[in-house]
Amino acid sequence: LLEILGEDTWLPAPQNISMLSTNMKHFLTWNPVIIQGETVRYSVEFQGEYERDYGNESWIPTWECSLITATVCNLTEDISAPVPYNLRVRAHVGLRRSEWGTLKGFFNPLTTSLTPPLMKVIADGYHLLVELEDMGPAFQFCVLYWKKGQESRMQQKVVKEVRSVVHLDIMEPGADYCVKAQTHVEVINRSSSFSQTQCVRTQG
Amino acid sequence: SGELYCSLPNPRNVHFESINMKNILHWSAPEGTGDGVLYKVKYSVYGVGKWIRKPECKNINRTWCDLSNETSDYEEQYYASVKAFLNGMCSDWMETTRFNPLTDTKIDPPMVSVSSTEKSISIILTAPEVWKRSPEGESVSLLQVYPGLQYNVSVLNKKTKKRWFFSISNNTLVVPWLEPGTAYCVSAQIHVTTPLLHSGFSKEYCIATLQDKTADEAIK
Amino acid sequence: GPCRVPMTMTEIRAGFTAIKAKIQARDPIRTLSILSHPHSLHKVKSSDRCCITHHLLNFYVDKVFRHCKTEDSFINRKISSIANSFLSVRRKLEQCREQNKCTCGQESTEKFNQVLANYEGLNVTSAAMKSLGELDILLDWMEKS
Repeated sequence: LLEILGEDTWLPAPQNISMLSTNMKHFLTWNPVIIQGETVRYSVEFQGEYERDYGNESWIPTWECSLITATVCNLTEDISAPVPYNLRVRAHVGLRRSEWGTLKGFFNPLTTSLTPPLMKVIADGYHLLVELEDMGPAFQFCVLYWKKGQESRMQQKVVKEVRSVVHLDIMEPGADYCVKAQTHVEVINRSSSFSQTQCVRTQG
Repeated sequence: SGELYCSLPNPRNVHFESINMKNILHWSAPEGTGDGVLYKVKYSVYGVGKWIRKPECKNINRTWCDLSNETSDYEEQYYASVKAFLNGMCSDWMETTRFNPLTDTKIDPPMVSVSSTEKSISIILTAPEVWKRSPEGESVSLLQVYPGLQYNVSVLNKKTKKRWFFSISNNTLVVPWLEPGTAYCVSAQIHVTTPLLHSGFSKEYCIATLQDKTADEAIK
Repeated sequence: GPCRVPMTMTEIRAGFTAIKAKIQARDPIRTLSILSHPHSLHKVKSSDRCCITHHLLNFYVDKVFRHCKTEDSFINRKISSIANSFLSVRRKLEQCREQNKCTCGQESTEKFNQVLANYEGLNVTSAAMKSLGELDILLDWMEKS
Protein backbone atom coordinates (compact mmCIF):
# COMPACT_ATOMS: atom_id res chain seq x y z
CA LEU A 1 0.00 0.00 0.00
CA LEU A 2 1.64 3.28 -1.01
CA GLU A 3 1.09 6.14 1.50
CA ILE A 4 0.33 9.32 -0.46
CA LEU A 5 0.03 12.19 1.98
CA GLY A 6 -0.11 15.99 2.18
CA GLU A 7 2.98 18.09 2.86
CA ASP A 8 2.91 18.99 6.58
CA THR A 9 1.70 15.79 8.17
CA TRP A 10 4.11 13.50 10.07
CA LEU A 11 6.18 11.13 8.04
CA PRO A 12 5.01 7.51 7.99
CA ALA A 13 7.49 4.76 8.64
CA PRO A 14 8.43 2.58 5.64
CA GLN A 15 6.24 -0.53 5.35
CA ASN A 16 6.50 -4.01 3.88
CA ILE A 17 10.15 -4.38 4.92
CA SER A 18 11.70 -7.63 3.79
CA MET A 19 15.10 -9.25 3.31
CA LEU A 20 16.22 -10.86 0.07
CA SER A 21 19.30 -13.01 0.62
CA THR A 22 20.87 -15.18 -2.03
CA ASN A 23 24.39 -16.61 -2.10
CA MET A 24 25.50 -14.56 0.90
CA LYS A 25 24.34 -11.27 -0.71
CA HIS A 26 21.80 -9.63 1.57
CA PHE A 27 19.36 -6.93 0.36
CA LEU A 28 16.78 -5.16 2.51
CA THR A 29 13.77 -3.80 0.60
CA TRP A 30 10.71 -1.75 1.58
CA ASN A 31 7.77 0.12 0.06
CA PRO A 32 8.47 3.72 -0.93
CA VAL A 33 6.91 6.52 1.13
CA ILE A 34 5.52 9.08 -1.32
CA ILE A 35 4.97 12.75 -0.41
CA GLN A 36 3.88 15.08 -3.18
CA GLY A 37 6.67 17.33 -4.41
CA GLU A 38 9.24 15.97 -1.91
CA THR A 39 12.29 13.75 -2.21
CA VAL A 40 12.07 11.06 0.42
CA ARG A 41 15.32 9.56 1.64
CA TYR A 42 15.92 6.52 3.79
CA SER A 43 18.45 5.36 6.39
CA VAL A 44 19.03 1.78 7.46
CA GLU A 45 20.50 0.47 10.71
CA PHE A 46 21.36 -3.01 11.95
CA GLN A 47 21.73 -4.63 15.37
CA GLY A 48 23.54 -7.92 15.77
CA GLU A 49 23.30 -10.42 18.57
CA TYR A 50 26.38 -8.80 20.11
CA GLU A 51 24.78 -5.36 20.20
CA ARG A 52 21.62 -6.83 21.77
CA ASP A 53 23.33 -8.92 24.43
CA TYR A 54 26.50 -6.92 25.15
CA GLY A 55 26.11 -3.51 23.52
CA ASN A 56 23.16 -1.96 25.33
CA GLU A 57 20.90 -2.88 22.40
CA SER A 58 22.68 -0.28 20.28
CA TRP A 59 21.99 0.13 16.56
CA ILE A 60 24.65 0.70 13.93
CA PRO A 61 24.18 2.81 10.79
CA THR A 62 24.91 0.83 7.63
CA TRP A 63 27.82 1.58 5.36
CA GLU A 64 25.92 2.12 2.12
CA CYS A 65 22.46 3.24 3.12
CA SER A 66 22.40 6.59 4.88
CA LEU A 67 19.97 9.11 3.33
CA ILE A 68 19.56 7.15 0.11
CA THR A 69 16.63 7.56 -2.27
CA ALA A 70 16.52 3.92 -3.33
CA THR A 71 14.19 1.51 -1.52
CA VAL A 72 16.74 -1.29 -1.43
CA CYS A 73 19.91 -1.55 0.67
CA ASN A 74 22.87 -3.91 0.19
CA LEU A 75 23.78 -5.12 3.69
CA THR A 76 26.31 -7.74 2.60
CA GLU A 77 29.32 -5.87 3.97
CA ASP A 78 27.70 -5.08 7.31
CA ILE A 79 26.06 -8.32 8.34
CA SER A 80 28.69 -10.97 7.67
CA ALA A 81 28.55 -12.96 10.91
CA PRO A 82 26.25 -16.02 11.11
CA VAL A 83 24.14 -14.63 13.98
CA PRO A 84 20.57 -13.21 14.20
CA TYR A 85 20.29 -9.53 13.20
CA ASN A 86 17.54 -6.93 13.70
CA LEU A 87 17.14 -4.48 10.81
CA ARG A 88 15.26 -1.18 10.62
CA VAL A 89 14.71 1.67 8.14
CA ARG A 90 13.19 5.12 8.43
CA ALA A 91 12.26 7.89 6.02
CA HIS A 92 13.62 11.45 5.90
CA VAL A 93 12.19 14.54 4.24
CA GLY A 94 14.42 17.51 4.92
CA LEU A 95 14.76 17.61 8.72
CA ARG A 96 11.66 15.51 9.30
CA ARG A 97 12.14 11.85 10.15
CA SER A 98 9.66 9.01 10.38
CA GLU A 99 9.48 6.36 13.07
CA TRP A 100 11.59 3.30 12.43
CA GLY A 101 10.10 0.50 10.42
CA THR A 102 11.60 -2.78 11.65
CA LEU A 103 11.97 -6.10 9.83
CA LYS A 104 9.62 -8.62 11.41
CA GLY A 105 11.76 -11.22 13.14
CA PHE A 106 15.51 -11.67 12.96
CA PHE A 107 17.56 -12.19 9.84
CA ASN A 108 20.48 -14.62 10.09
CA PRO A 109 22.94 -14.93 7.20
CA LEU A 110 22.83 -18.68 7.91
CA THR A 111 19.46 -18.71 6.12
CA THR A 112 20.74 -17.28 2.82
CA SER A 113 19.55 -19.32 -0.15
CA LEU A 114 22.37 -21.01 -2.01
CA THR A 115 22.00 -21.66 -5.71
CA PRO A 116 24.01 -24.22 -7.67
CA PRO A 117 26.96 -22.69 -9.53
CA LEU A 118 26.96 -21.89 -13.22
CA MET A 119 29.24 -24.46 -14.75
CA LYS A 120 30.62 -25.40 -18.16
CA VAL A 121 32.26 -28.78 -18.71
CA ILE A 122 35.02 -29.01 -21.32
CA ALA A 123 36.72 -32.00 -22.93
CA ASP A 124 40.12 -30.94 -24.26
CA GLY A 125 41.81 -33.95 -25.78
CA TYR A 126 41.83 -36.57 -23.00
CA HIS A 127 41.44 -33.95 -20.29
CA LEU A 128 38.25 -33.23 -18.38
CA LEU A 129 37.97 -29.59 -17.29
CA VAL A 130 35.32 -27.38 -15.72
CA GLU A 131 34.72 -23.66 -15.84
CA LEU A 132 33.00 -22.31 -12.70
CA GLU A 133 31.37 -18.98 -11.89
CA ASP A 134 33.30 -16.80 -9.43
CA MET A 135 30.87 -16.25 -6.55
CA GLY A 136 33.19 -14.50 -4.12
CA PRO A 137 35.78 -15.40 -1.47
CA ALA A 138 33.27 -17.09 0.86
CA PHE A 139 32.51 -19.81 -1.74
CA GLN A 140 34.14 -23.15 -2.41
CA PHE A 141 32.91 -25.75 -4.93
CA CYS A 142 32.45 -29.47 -4.61
CA VAL A 143 32.73 -30.99 -8.10
CA LEU A 144 31.65 -34.61 -8.70
CA TYR A 145 32.58 -36.41 -11.92
CA TRP A 146 32.25 -39.94 -13.19
CA LYS A 147 32.47 -42.08 -16.28
CA LYS A 148 28.99 -42.59 -17.68
CA GLY A 149 27.59 -45.87 -16.47
CA GLN A 150 30.02 -46.01 -13.55
CA GLU A 151 28.13 -43.79 -11.12
CA SER A 152 29.36 -45.91 -8.26
CA ARG A 153 32.94 -44.78 -8.96
CA MET A 154 32.16 -41.08 -8.65
CA GLN A 155 35.18 -38.83 -7.97
CA GLN A 156 35.16 -35.59 -5.98
CA LYS A 157 37.31 -32.47 -6.24
CA VAL A 158 37.04 -29.42 -3.93
CA VAL A 159 37.84 -26.19 -5.72
CA LYS A 160 38.68 -23.42 -3.27
CA GLU A 161 39.73 -20.74 -5.70
CA VAL A 162 38.01 -20.17 -8.97
CA ARG A 163 40.40 -19.79 -11.86
CA SER A 164 38.99 -19.78 -15.36
CA VAL A 165 39.38 -23.44 -16.32
CA VAL A 166 40.04 -26.01 -13.60
CA HIS A 167 41.56 -29.36 -14.52
CA LEU A 168 39.62 -32.32 -13.13
CA ASP A 169 41.13 -35.49 -14.52
CA ILE A 170 42.25 -37.62 -17.45
CA MET A 171 39.58 -39.41 -19.50
CA GLU A 172 39.74 -42.71 -21.34
CA PRO A 173 39.46 -42.41 -25.12
CA GLY A 174 35.98 -42.55 -26.64
CA ALA A 175 34.10 -42.45 -23.34
CA ASP A 176 31.41 -40.17 -21.92
CA TYR A 177 32.10 -38.34 -18.69
CA CYS A 178 29.57 -36.48 -16.54
CA VAL A 179 30.04 -33.65 -14.05
CA LYS A 180 27.90 -31.83 -11.49
CA ALA A 181 28.87 -29.23 -8.88
CA GLN A 182 27.55 -27.55 -5.72
CA THR A 183 28.75 -24.53 -3.77
CA HIS A 184 29.84 -24.71 -0.14
CA VAL A 185 30.05 -21.73 2.25
CA GLU A 186 32.31 -22.62 5.16
CA VAL A 187 31.36 -19.69 7.42
CA ILE A 188 27.75 -20.95 7.56
CA ASN A 189 28.73 -24.60 6.89
CA ARG A 190 26.05 -25.07 4.24
CA SER A 191 26.01 -26.23 0.61
CA SER A 192 23.75 -25.54 -2.38
CA SER A 193 21.96 -28.25 -4.28
CA PHE A 194 23.86 -29.75 -7.20
CA SER A 195 23.86 -28.18 -10.62
CA GLN A 196 22.43 -29.92 -13.64
CA THR A 197 24.69 -32.77 -14.76
CA GLN A 198 26.67 -32.06 -17.90
CA CYS A 199 28.34 -34.81 -19.96
CA VAL A 200 31.06 -34.69 -22.61
CA ARG A 201 32.68 -37.29 -24.83
CA THR A 202 36.39 -37.71 -25.27
CA GLN A 203 38.05 -38.07 -28.65
CA GLY A 204 39.28 -41.42 -29.93
CA SER B 1 75.91 12.91 26.07
CA GLY B 2 72.97 15.28 26.31
CA GLU B 3 70.39 15.08 23.61
CA LEU B 4 71.34 17.22 20.59
CA TYR B 5 69.11 20.07 19.50
CA CYS B 6 66.49 18.16 17.48
CA SER B 7 65.06 20.54 14.96
CA LEU B 8 66.12 18.65 11.84
CA PRO B 9 63.14 17.52 9.72
CA ASN B 10 62.20 13.91 10.36
CA PRO B 11 62.94 10.87 8.19
CA ARG B 12 59.81 10.03 6.23
CA ASN B 13 57.83 6.92 5.39
CA VAL B 14 59.68 4.65 7.84
CA HIS B 15 58.44 1.14 7.07
CA PHE B 16 59.39 -2.52 6.76
CA GLU B 17 59.70 -4.14 3.36
CA SER B 18 59.61 -7.90 3.83
CA ILE B 19 60.01 -10.64 1.24
CA ASN B 20 60.14 -14.30 2.35
CA MET B 21 60.76 -12.92 5.84
CA LYS B 22 63.84 -10.96 4.85
CA ASN B 23 62.82 -7.85 6.76
CA ILE B 24 64.44 -4.60 5.65
CA LEU B 25 63.68 -1.27 7.27
CA HIS B 26 63.34 1.50 4.69
CA TRP B 27 62.83 5.26 4.95
CA SER B 28 63.13 8.45 2.94
CA ALA B 29 65.54 11.25 3.77
CA PRO B 30 64.14 14.26 5.64
CA GLU B 31 62.69 16.86 3.30
CA GLY B 32 65.10 19.43 1.92
CA THR B 33 68.24 18.11 3.65
CA GLY B 34 70.37 17.10 0.66
CA ASP B 35 73.59 15.11 1.24
CA GLY B 36 75.46 14.46 4.44
CA VAL B 37 72.55 13.18 6.56
CA LEU B 38 73.43 10.28 8.82
CA TYR B 39 71.01 7.93 10.57
CA LYS B 40 70.66 5.71 13.63
CA VAL B 41 68.26 2.79 13.92
CA LYS B 42 66.69 1.04 16.88
CA TYR B 43 64.02 -1.60 17.18
CA SER B 44 61.83 -3.15 19.86
CA VAL B 45 59.85 -6.30 20.35
CA TYR B 46 56.23 -5.36 20.90
CA GLY B 47 55.26 -5.85 24.54
CA VAL B 48 58.87 -5.85 25.77
CA GLY B 49 59.98 -2.74 27.52
CA LYS B 50 63.19 -1.66 25.77
CA TRP B 51 64.47 -0.26 22.52
CA ILE B 52 67.58 -1.93 21.16
CA ARG B 53 70.11 -0.09 19.00
CA LYS B 54 71.29 -1.69 15.78
CA PRO B 55 75.08 -1.10 15.76
CA GLU B 56 75.50 -1.96 12.07
CA CYS B 57 73.08 0.83 11.25
CA LYS B 58 74.67 3.56 13.39
CA ASN B 59 75.77 6.75 11.59
CA ILE B 60 74.93 5.31 8.19
CA ASN B 61 74.13 7.49 5.18
CA ARG B 62 72.00 4.88 3.34
CA THR B 63 68.24 4.83 3.88
CA TRP B 64 67.73 1.17 4.67
CA CYS B 65 68.76 -1.27 7.36
CA ASP B 66 68.50 -5.06 7.36
CA LEU B 67 66.68 -6.12 10.53
CA SER B 68 65.98 -9.70 9.39
CA ASN B 69 68.10 -11.16 12.16
CA GLU B 70 66.45 -9.06 14.83
CA THR B 71 62.92 -9.81 13.63
CA SER B 72 63.30 -13.48 12.75
CA ASP B 73 60.95 -14.82 15.44
CA TYR B 74 57.69 -14.64 13.53
CA GLU B 75 55.69 -15.32 16.68
CA GLU B 76 56.61 -11.84 17.85
CA GLN B 77 55.74 -8.40 16.49
CA TYR B 78 58.07 -5.44 16.20
CA TYR B 79 58.55 -1.72 15.92
CA ALA B 80 61.59 0.02 14.44
CA SER B 81 62.62 3.66 14.57
CA VAL B 82 65.04 5.98 12.75
CA LYS B 83 66.71 9.26 13.79
CA ALA B 84 68.54 11.63 11.40
CA PHE B 85 71.63 13.76 12.11
CA LEU B 86 73.16 16.69 10.15
CA ASN B 87 75.64 19.38 11.19
CA GLY B 88 75.07 18.86 14.90
CA MET B 89 71.32 18.82 14.60
CA CYS B 90 69.03 15.84 14.83
CA SER B 91 65.47 14.83 14.08
CA ASP B 92 62.92 13.07 16.26
CA TRP B 93 62.78 9.29 16.30
CA MET B 94 60.34 8.22 13.61
CA GLU B 95 58.65 4.85 14.08
CA THR B 96 57.14 2.19 11.86
CA THR B 97 53.67 0.81 12.37
CA ARG B 98 53.56 -2.52 14.22
CA PHE B 99 55.24 -5.16 12.04
CA ASN B 100 53.94 -8.76 12.06
CA PRO B 101 56.41 -10.87 10.04
CA LEU B 102 53.88 -13.68 9.60
CA THR B 103 51.18 -11.58 7.93
CA ASP B 104 53.15 -8.62 6.62
CA THR B 105 55.74 -10.47 4.51
CA LYS B 106 55.43 -10.85 0.75
CA ILE B 107 56.03 -14.25 -0.79
CA ASP B 108 58.06 -14.85 -3.95
CA PRO B 109 56.63 -17.21 -6.57
CA PRO B 110 57.88 -20.80 -6.45
CA MET B 111 60.72 -22.00 -8.64
CA VAL B 112 59.40 -24.13 -11.50
CA SER B 113 61.26 -26.91 -13.28
CA VAL B 114 59.63 -28.75 -16.15
CA SER B 115 60.55 -31.86 -18.10
CA SER B 116 58.67 -33.67 -20.82
CA THR B 117 58.19 -37.00 -22.52
CA GLU B 118 56.32 -37.68 -25.70
CA LYS B 119 52.89 -37.29 -24.11
CA SER B 120 53.39 -35.73 -20.70
CA ILE B 121 55.05 -32.95 -18.82
CA SER B 122 56.34 -33.19 -15.26
CA ILE B 123 56.44 -30.12 -13.06
CA ILE B 124 58.45 -29.74 -9.85
CA LEU B 125 57.81 -26.69 -7.69
CA THR B 126 60.11 -25.35 -4.99
CA ALA B 127 58.81 -22.86 -2.47
CA PRO B 128 61.21 -20.05 -1.69
CA GLU B 129 63.33 -20.36 1.42
CA VAL B 130 62.70 -18.23 4.44
CA TRP B 131 65.51 -15.75 5.14
CA LYS B 132 68.33 -17.37 7.12
CA ARG B 133 71.18 -15.93 9.13
CA SER B 134 73.95 -17.32 6.96
CA PRO B 135 74.26 -19.40 3.79
CA GLU B 136 75.41 -22.33 5.93
CA GLY B 137 72.52 -21.84 8.28
CA GLU B 138 69.69 -24.37 8.39
CA SER B 139 67.18 -23.81 5.60
CA VAL B 140 63.56 -23.28 6.56
CA SER B 141 60.97 -23.66 3.81
CA LEU B 142 57.89 -21.50 3.68
CA LEU B 143 55.93 -24.74 3.98
CA GLN B 144 57.12 -25.02 7.57
CA VAL B 145 55.98 -21.50 8.36
CA TYR B 146 52.64 -21.79 6.52
CA PRO B 147 51.45 -25.40 6.82
CA GLY B 148 48.37 -24.66 4.68
CA LEU B 149 50.53 -23.61 1.72
CA GLN B 150 49.23 -24.68 -1.70
CA TYR B 151 50.29 -24.13 -5.29
CA ASN B 152 48.14 -22.89 -8.15
CA VAL B 153 49.62 -24.09 -11.45
CA SER B 154 48.71 -22.75 -14.88
CA VAL B 155 49.42 -24.86 -17.99
CA LEU B 156 49.04 -23.15 -21.37
CA ASN B 157 48.83 -25.15 -24.61
CA LYS B 158 50.63 -22.83 -27.03
CA LYS B 159 48.94 -24.42 -30.05
CA THR B 160 45.33 -24.22 -28.88
CA LYS B 161 45.97 -21.22 -26.59
CA LYS B 162 43.91 -23.01 -23.92
CA ARG B 163 44.99 -22.56 -20.30
CA TRP B 164 44.25 -25.06 -17.53
CA PHE B 165 44.57 -24.52 -13.78
CA PHE B 166 45.56 -27.04 -11.15
CA SER B 167 45.52 -26.59 -7.35
CA ILE B 168 47.95 -28.91 -5.59
CA SER B 169 49.25 -29.30 -2.07
CA ASN B 170 52.37 -31.31 -2.80
CA ASN B 171 55.07 -29.83 -5.04
CA THR B 172 54.97 -32.16 -8.03
CA LEU B 173 52.47 -32.45 -10.87
CA VAL B 174 52.47 -34.74 -13.88
CA VAL B 175 50.13 -33.87 -16.74
CA PRO B 176 49.75 -36.98 -18.92
CA TRP B 177 47.97 -37.65 -22.20
CA LEU B 178 49.20 -34.52 -23.96
CA GLU B 179 49.78 -33.98 -27.68
CA PRO B 180 53.23 -34.96 -28.92
CA GLY B 181 55.36 -32.24 -30.45
CA THR B 182 53.41 -29.46 -28.73
CA ALA B 183 54.71 -26.54 -26.66
CA TYR B 184 53.28 -26.05 -23.18
CA CYS B 185 54.03 -23.09 -20.89
CA VAL B 186 53.83 -23.50 -17.12
CA SER B 187 53.68 -20.89 -14.36
CA ALA B 188 52.86 -21.28 -10.70
CA GLN B 189 51.78 -19.27 -7.68
CA ILE B 190 51.88 -19.89 -3.93
CA HIS B 191 48.58 -19.57 -2.05
CA VAL B 192 48.23 -19.54 1.74
CA THR B 193 44.70 -19.55 3.21
CA THR B 194 45.44 -18.62 6.85
CA PRO B 195 46.64 -15.95 6.99
CA LEU B 196 45.56 -15.06 3.48
CA LEU B 197 48.73 -14.61 1.39
CA HIS B 198 49.41 -14.97 -2.35
CA SER B 199 52.65 -14.84 -4.27
CA GLY B 200 52.52 -13.54 -7.81
CA PHE B 201 52.65 -16.10 -10.63
CA SER B 202 56.14 -17.13 -11.65
CA LYS B 203 57.35 -16.32 -15.13
CA GLU B 204 56.34 -18.94 -17.72
CA TYR B 205 58.56 -21.94 -18.35
CA CYS B 206 57.88 -23.45 -21.76
CA ILE B 207 58.73 -26.93 -22.97
CA ALA B 208 57.64 -29.09 -25.89
CA THR B 209 56.49 -32.67 -25.69
CA LEU B 210 58.68 -34.94 -27.81
CA GLN B 211 57.75 -35.83 -31.35
CA ASP B 212 55.59 -38.95 -31.78
CA LYS B 213 58.12 -41.74 -32.69
CA THR B 214 55.46 -44.06 -34.13
CA ALA B 215 54.44 -41.35 -36.60
CA ASP B 216 58.13 -40.84 -37.56
CA GLU B 217 58.61 -44.61 -38.21
CA ALA B 218 55.45 -44.69 -40.35
CA ILE B 219 56.86 -41.89 -42.53
CA LYS B 220 60.20 -43.66 -43.17
CA GLY C 1 43.54 -30.08 21.07
CA PRO C 2 40.48 -32.31 21.54
CA CYS C 3 38.11 -29.63 20.29
CA ARG C 4 38.84 -29.11 16.64
CA VAL C 5 36.05 -26.58 16.15
CA PRO C 6 35.92 -25.67 12.45
CA MET C 7 36.78 -22.07 13.08
CA THR C 8 36.49 -20.10 9.87
CA MET C 9 38.53 -17.12 10.88
CA THR C 10 38.63 -15.76 7.35
CA GLU C 11 35.77 -13.33 8.00
CA ILE C 12 37.27 -12.19 11.30
CA ARG C 13 40.73 -11.87 9.76
CA ALA C 14 39.34 -9.81 6.85
CA GLY C 15 37.44 -7.51 9.20
CA PHE C 16 40.50 -6.99 11.40
CA THR C 17 42.88 -6.43 8.49
CA ALA C 18 40.63 -3.61 7.30
CA ILE C 19 41.06 -1.69 10.58
CA LYS C 20 44.38 -3.04 11.93
CA ALA C 21 46.51 0.03 11.12
CA LYS C 22 43.94 2.46 12.55
CA ILE C 23 43.41 0.45 15.73
CA GLN C 24 47.10 -0.20 16.42
CA ALA C 25 47.82 3.51 15.80
CA ARG C 26 45.49 4.25 18.75
CA ASP C 27 47.70 2.16 21.04
CA PRO C 28 50.82 4.21 21.92
CA ILE C 29 52.13 1.75 24.52
CA ARG C 30 54.88 -0.33 22.90
CA THR C 31 56.25 -1.78 26.07
CA LEU C 32 53.19 -3.77 27.19
CA SER C 33 51.24 -6.54 25.55
CA ILE C 34 47.99 -8.16 26.66
CA LEU C 35 48.41 -11.51 24.94
CA SER C 36 52.07 -12.08 24.10
CA HIS C 37 54.16 -11.06 27.13
CA PRO C 38 55.48 -12.17 29.51
CA HIS C 39 54.00 -15.52 28.39
CA SER C 40 53.54 -16.12 24.66
CA LEU C 41 50.37 -17.81 23.43
CA HIS C 42 52.63 -19.84 21.21
CA LYS C 43 54.07 -21.60 24.24
CA VAL C 44 50.66 -22.97 25.32
CA LYS C 45 50.56 -26.79 25.36
CA SER C 46 48.16 -28.33 22.83
CA SER C 47 46.14 -29.90 25.65
CA ASP C 48 45.46 -26.41 26.99
CA ARG C 49 44.56 -24.84 23.62
CA CYS C 50 40.85 -25.46 23.84
CA CYS C 51 40.54 -24.04 27.35
CA ILE C 52 42.64 -20.95 26.57
CA THR C 53 40.65 -20.39 23.37
CA HIS C 54 37.42 -20.56 25.33
CA HIS C 55 38.71 -18.08 27.92
CA LEU C 56 40.00 -15.68 25.30
CA LEU C 57 36.79 -15.73 23.27
CA ASN C 58 34.88 -14.83 26.44
CA PHE C 59 37.51 -12.19 27.29
CA TYR C 60 37.02 -10.42 23.96
CA VAL C 61 33.23 -10.69 24.05
CA ASP C 62 32.80 -9.67 27.67
CA LYS C 63 35.62 -7.17 28.20
CA VAL C 64 37.10 -5.90 24.94
CA PHE C 65 34.65 -5.12 22.14
CA ARG C 66 32.24 -3.14 24.30
CA HIS C 67 34.96 -0.60 25.17
CA CYS C 68 36.16 -0.07 21.61
CA LYS C 69 33.51 2.30 20.28
CA THR C 70 35.13 5.04 18.17
CA GLU C 71 34.03 8.15 16.30
CA ASP C 72 34.81 6.35 13.05
CA SER C 73 31.68 4.59 11.77
CA PHE C 74 33.73 2.35 9.44
CA ILE C 75 35.73 1.03 12.41
CA ASN C 76 32.55 0.59 14.47
CA ARG C 77 30.97 -1.49 11.72
CA LYS C 78 34.00 -3.74 11.41
CA ILE C 79 34.17 -4.20 15.19
CA SER C 80 30.49 -5.18 15.15
CA SER C 81 31.17 -7.74 12.43
CA ILE C 82 34.12 -9.17 14.37
CA ALA C 83 32.24 -9.21 17.69
CA ASN C 84 29.24 -11.00 16.17
CA SER C 85 31.56 -13.50 14.47
CA PHE C 86 33.15 -14.17 17.87
CA LEU C 87 29.72 -15.05 19.26
CA SER C 88 29.26 -17.55 16.45
CA VAL C 89 32.70 -19.13 16.98
CA ARG C 90 32.12 -19.24 20.74
CA ARG C 91 28.80 -21.01 20.23
CA LYS C 92 30.52 -23.72 18.17
CA LEU C 93 33.18 -24.14 20.85
CA GLU C 94 30.45 -24.27 23.51
CA GLN C 95 28.96 -27.37 21.88
CA CYS C 96 32.34 -29.02 22.19
CA ARG C 97 32.83 -27.90 25.80
CA GLU C 98 29.52 -29.41 26.79
CA GLN C 99 30.94 -32.79 25.77
CA ASN C 100 33.57 -32.11 28.44
CA LYS C 101 36.45 -32.12 25.96
CA CYS C 102 37.83 -28.77 26.91
CA THR C 103 39.22 -29.14 30.39
CA CYS C 104 41.23 -26.37 32.04
CA GLY C 105 44.55 -27.29 33.67
CA GLN C 106 46.45 -25.15 36.14
CA GLU C 107 48.83 -23.87 33.47
CA SER C 108 46.07 -22.57 31.22
CA THR C 109 44.35 -20.91 34.17
CA GLU C 110 47.61 -19.18 35.11
CA LYS C 111 48.19 -18.15 31.52
CA PHE C 112 44.74 -16.61 31.27
CA ASN C 113 45.11 -14.89 34.65
CA GLN C 114 48.27 -13.27 33.27
CA VAL C 115 46.23 -11.93 30.33
CA LEU C 116 43.69 -10.49 32.77
CA ALA C 117 46.47 -8.95 34.88
CA ASN C 118 47.95 -7.31 31.77
CA TYR C 119 44.48 -6.01 30.88
CA GLU C 120 43.71 -4.67 34.34
CA GLY C 121 47.11 -2.97 34.47
CA LEU C 122 45.79 -0.32 32.06
CA ASN C 123 42.77 1.94 32.04
CA VAL C 124 39.85 0.15 30.46
CA THR C 125 39.76 2.03 27.15
CA SER C 126 43.50 1.69 26.54
CA ALA C 127 43.39 -1.96 27.56
CA ALA C 128 40.43 -2.69 25.27
CA MET C 129 41.97 -0.89 22.29
CA LYS C 130 45.33 -2.64 22.87
CA SER C 131 43.57 -6.02 23.08
CA LEU C 132 41.70 -5.31 19.85
CA GLY C 133 44.97 -4.32 18.20
CA GLU C 134 46.42 -7.69 19.19
CA LEU C 135 43.67 -9.66 17.45
CA ASP C 136 46.17 -10.83 14.81
CA ILE C 137 48.27 -12.37 17.57
CA LEU C 138 45.18 -14.33 18.67
CA LEU C 139 44.24 -15.28 15.10
CA ASP C 140 47.81 -16.33 14.19
CA TRP C 141 47.81 -18.60 17.23
CA MET C 142 44.30 -20.01 16.72
CA GLU C 143 44.97 -20.74 13.05
CA LYS C 144 48.19 -22.51 13.80
CA SER C 145 47.20 -26.17 13.61
